[in-house]
Amino acid sequence: MVAWVAPCLFALATGVLSSWGVGGGTLLLVCMNLFLGVEHREAQAINLLFFLPTAGISLFFHRKNGFLDKEVWRQAAIPGTIASLAGALLATAVDVSLLRRPFGVFLLYSGASMLLSARKGAR
Amino acid sequence: MPSRPAGRRYIVWEGCAVTDKRKSQTAGIAGGVINGLFGGGGGMVLLPLLSKWRKLEARSSFATCVAIIFPMCCVSTAVYLWEVRPALSTVLPYLAGGVAGGLIGGLTFEKVPVRFLKVIFGLFLLYGGVRYLLW
Repeated sequence: MVAWVAPCLFALATGVLSSWGVGGGTLLLVCMNLFLGVEHREAQAINLLFFLPTAGISLFFHRKNGFLDKEVWRQAAIPGTIASLAGALLATAVDVSLLRRPFGVFLLYSGASMLLSARKGAR
Repeated sequence: MPSRPAGRRYIVWEGCAVTDKRKSQTAGIAGGVINGLFGGGGGMVLLPLLSKWRKLEARSSFATCVAIIFPMCCVSTAVYLWEVRPALSTVLPYLAGGVAGGLIGGLTFEKVPVRFLKVIFGLFLLYGGVRYLLW
């Protein structure tokens, strides 16, 4: 019972936060890995999977409301998807401890830019 | 082609010109690499780059960003699932919580002071970063 309550609550909280534009895709990943003891690569898989249904729903509404810039999408999504495929293949091929420090640096950057956007933002 | 000052010779290679298209592609690749390597977080790179370089209106750049990350996440999810194969019972609570959270968040979007939360979770990410670097 307890085994699924904590994951569910963490996911609920981060789901709410990310749909408010807080935290990005890394909050759940960090929670899973540091607090729930999920192995890093498994946490990455769950984190990616977690994004798909929520993003799918919100994209439906964004598209309906005309918020999508189709030209920018076409230009960025195709090379981006290829880059993402390469990144994922690399990440699953190398030893998991190798990515720990780069990920730490990336989190410092994310945290700092979130603090900066809080300073600048109106809400 | 912009005019060049007279008296100096420039070697101009058309292929090097920084166009809007190049900027979008670069932003996409940067976000994609991060997204694939770290299993998320592509938006953290893509959103600032796109809003700076392509001058999109805030909501439009957020929405376009999600749309760009979506196919990235599809392919990296496939790779990670293939390699890791987590048990369905491990994954389901996260998905259920996430979908519910997304709906609640969407319904309450306009009513929340996000600034305060950004400070808290920005500090939390800094703490996470330090832990990854030290342990």
